[in-house]
Amino acid sequence: MNISGIMVTALPEHVAEVAQSVAALQGVEVFQADVASGKLVVVQEAASVGEEVEGFKRIRAVPHVIAADLVQHYFEEDNELIHAIPDGLEGLEGIRVPTELKD
Amino acid sequence: MHLSRRQFIKTGIAASTAATVGLPISKMAEAAAAEVEKDWQWDKSVCRFCGTGCGIMVATKAGRIVATKGDPNAPVNKGLNCIKGYFNGKIQSGKDRLTQPLMRMKDGKFDKKGQFVPVTWEQAFDEMERQFRKTYAEKGPTGVAMLASAQKTIQEGYAFNKLFKAGWRSNTIDPNARNCMASAVAAFYSVFGTDEPAGNYDDIEYTDTMVLWGANMAEMHPILWSRITDRRLAHKNARVINVTTFRNMSSDIADLEIIFKPQTDLAIQNYIAREIIARGAMNKDFVEKHCVFATGPYDIGYGMRPTDKFAYPAEKDVQAKELKVTLDKYEAIGQRRKAGEVVEQKNTGNPAAHWLISLEDFKRGVEPYTLDFVAELAKGDPDEPLDKFKAKLKQLADYYIDPQRKVVSFWTMGFNQSVRGTWLNEQCYMNHLLLGKQSMPGNGAFSLTGQPSACGTAREVGMFSHRLPADRLIPNPAHRAYSEKQWNLPAKTLNPQIGSFYGKILRDLEDGSVKWLWVAVNNPFQSHPNINHWLRAARELDNFVVVSEAYPGVSAKVADLILPSAMIFEKWGSYGNAERRTQHWRQQVMPPGQARADIWQAIEFSKRFKVKDFWGEQKVPGLKVEGYEDGKLPSVLDEAVKMGYSPEDSLYKVLFATPANLKVRWPDGVAKGHPNHVVTLLGDGWFPEKALWQEYVPFTRGDGKDLADFDVYHGDKVRGLKWPVVDGKETGWRFNEQHDPYVKKGAGFDFYGKLFKAIPSGDLDKVTDPKPVSVAGKAKIFFRPYAAPVEQPDSNYDLWFCTGRVLEHWHTGTMTRRVPELHRAVPAAVMWMHPDDAKKRGLKRNDLAWLESRRGKVQIRVETGGRNTMPRGMVYAAFFDEGVLINKVCIDAACPISKESDFKKSAVKVYKV
Repeated sequence: MNISGIMVTALPEHVAEVAQSVAALQGVEVFQADVASGKLVVVQEAASVGEEVEGFKRIRAVPHVIAADLVQHYFEEDNELIHAIPDGLEGLEGIRVPTELKD
Repeated sequence: MHLSRRQFIKTGIAASTAATVGLPISKMAEAAAAEVEKDWQWDKSVCRFCGTGCGIMVATKAGRIVATKGDPNAPVNKGLNCIKGYFNGKIQSGKDRLTQPLMRMKDGKFDKKGQFVPVTWEQAFDEMERQFRKTYAEKGPTGVAMLASAQKTIQEGYAFNKLFKAGWRSNTIDPNARNCMASAVAAFYSVFGTDEPAGNYDDIEYTDTMVLWGANMAEMHPILWSRITDRRLAHKNARVINVTTFRNMSSDIADLEIIFKPQTDLAIQNYIAREIIARGAMNKDFVEKHCVFATGPYDIGYGMRPTDKFAYPAEKDVQAKELKVTLDKYEAIGQRRKAGEVVEQKNTGNPAAHWLISLEDFKRGVEPYTLDFVAELAKGDPDEPLDKFKAKLKQLADYYIDPQRKVVSFWTMGFNQSVRGTWLNEQCYMNHLLLGKQSMPGNGAFSLTGQPSACGTAREVGMFSHRLPADRLIPNPAHRAYSEKQWNLPAKTLNPQIGSFYGKILRDLEDGSVKWLWVAVNNPFQSHPNINHWLRAARELDNFVVVSEAYPGVSAKVADLILPSAMIFEKWGSYGNAERRTQHWRQQVMPPGQARADIWQAIEFSKRFKVKDFWGEQKVPGLKVEGYEDGKLPSVLDEAVKMGYSPEDSLYKVLFATPANLKVRWPDGVAKGHPNHVVTLLGDGWFPEKALWQEYVPFTRGDGKDLADFDVYHGDKVRGLKWPVVDGKETGWRFNEQHDPYVKKGAGFDFYGKLFKAIPSGDLDKVTDPKPVSVAGKAKIFFRPYAAPVEQPDSNYDLWFCTGRVLEHWHTGTMTRRVPELHRAVPAAVMWMHPDDAKKRGLKRNDLAWLESRRGKVQIRVETGGRNTMPRGMVYAAFFDEGVLINKVCIDAACPISKESDFKKSAVKVYKV
């Protein structure tokens, strides 16, 4: 389970609209929206690795969002992490990767 | 109200996020946060990545990291994280983490051509020692080398520096900071006589004009960028200017964007200086009281080898320019000479020499840099009209000169990684000093750093081939004597000859003068330019390469022995950031398997050697220093015995477990229950990270570099301190009487740095009076001319190539590519290219292309859109991807003064695969 706490910044006059648009995104909840400071606290849950970053990009792309900053990252129950080695790190041209390092 | 566990956690995360950024939270949310975090132990720490130095809070539970967040109390980032910083807690958990020593073996023993086999630490150190002794006997102290890192902790840097210089009497240790900050350092020395910036990050909130010179801060310093963005949005007069060779993310909020041709920033800065003079805008009072004018030789080469013996046939034409250069039209004008003139590079041996000149000479120097001349030379986008570019240059000068404006100039690798990197740094100070806009809140030239401890570990500790702690220099006899006294060494133990710099160590490996190399916390076989040479040297020649690593990066793969290293939160340590802020952290979790901290590796390995192995007479090829027999280091064993040492004493006892250090005991209340695996492994009860810190700090005190005691930094409320820390107080702006206790009372400003403060006098071309004149207390305003890049596009290699980073990845990706989210975000390096350039070559977005230079070639995908917009004639690709070894393509030319490589300017061709 990847849960991220994100601070979204918008101009005060756009806070309500931004809150609505962000809340409409899948897996995203708006917990607080402070008009005076233009700051929104948003929590995103991502079902799989990779979705978290994709989701973050969606938030940044919402109209009138000036900034979206990642604040807190929770991964206590993230058991798939350890098995999520990226593809494409092997087969380096001209250098043999020792088999021991492939395991 | 009943909440599901998941909803409950989310409420808690939201509350914690709100609290971090300073929003009020409800009682219920607060309770949820407390409940979610009830078994967690939060502790302050520091980000592992760039030079910004953000504070990170790390939560552990049952020996595992469960969460991280931006530290709301950290003045640097005020609770925010960038995307890399956000994933700090995951970098140590990659599946292919190295957890045991691996050695190339055949038939049960070491074999260069063997396969990697797991071995014990004992076996690993046995072979490492055997190879070390073989090389040391054959080559002496200069035959053994370390490629070190600005990502080592300060204590690790100190330990390795001492082991090499005091123990092994070898100065052949140099950090990857050489390729990052060396040009900045050289200019700090030449201009101010002391290293590191005058200002601090609060300059952002004090200024109204922020000029980025070749620094894409939106991607490379994202948290500083969020502060700049805030300032820009909150203050209606604030302006951001992006001076760059291609449009990047920092242009998004820029009020002025100037796209210039590579290396013509030398000319643009001289244009600004000329305008300052021409408009009568020089701050006469400031300049007369606090500055002098200076210049140096132009014929200094390009930091390449003086011979083409090792060059590939295709490299030889560029290589030849190390010896002589034919001036092009622009260089000729900029240097007041004739186009076509052939200039022998006579000052490659002494490129940093400089002398006083008059203001009149200085004016004569900048006179050719008119708007017409500079605009024609510097316009970087062939599709931009010249008049528009001219108007932009003029506006840039207006911003600097406007007396109502405060100005901060930021730069990093755009200036530093240039064959004239030192000059570019000096020129930036030139304009700030001419205007008197320096060393005051909101005004100053601000050299940012790329790595988390370029300042703390590499520069302050002096872990360079020419340096000793706290601005002391190897060639200076008084500095060596001081260091020998601090380290309790016999006189003349230290080697007086500067060792090989980073790139030269790799050249030494290729030419056989270094045969034993230890690499730690960096990845030179991916990150240093022109790697085809170095890969071959590592694998095909009779060298022994040891790599301390956390993951099997390219350097580990080409090594003979891999030592598994502990990572940041698995050890105690400290870093120093770009604003002179020193920050410490505690060990949070245990390293996996047999992985161990680098500081343990240095200290444990020292147990295998005795002082008699090194402190007898040693041969040092080429040593020629007054007071020393040519080619030799004297025996200091008799003197050592007089001091109470025995020739049989181990280096461990003499360098590390000294009587004073053994008194610094573990456990220590400062740990607050946190473990220390290094203490446990060493087994004799001392606390090396604290003992070595306390041994180091006297070097820094009383001379403008003062660091505080170990326990001070670990105080609950302390979030690092900006040195000099005097009477418990940090220093915001150096050289400024209102802020810096080292400034002479009544001086206003005092550029009190001591290095290179007695220089000869001359004119723009030469020394006329060799008698040194004291310029104590003054900063130097340098005239430096435009010089053409050593390699430029031609009819065959017809494009500029520039490399650097992307936001999501750190350096060579060994850590960030193990974080699945970051890897997915940017899985591979791409080559940004203008759509017309692509079309001309029959390429379109996502096509696979060859990127080829005189030195090598790689396959890479074409990108014609996205975050960078290239002008026609230039391509960019990042270097993080080991599947696309960009440094096969890059030239290993360097600034002759700083020896920092130029990663920004290679000539390439691109064609369809």
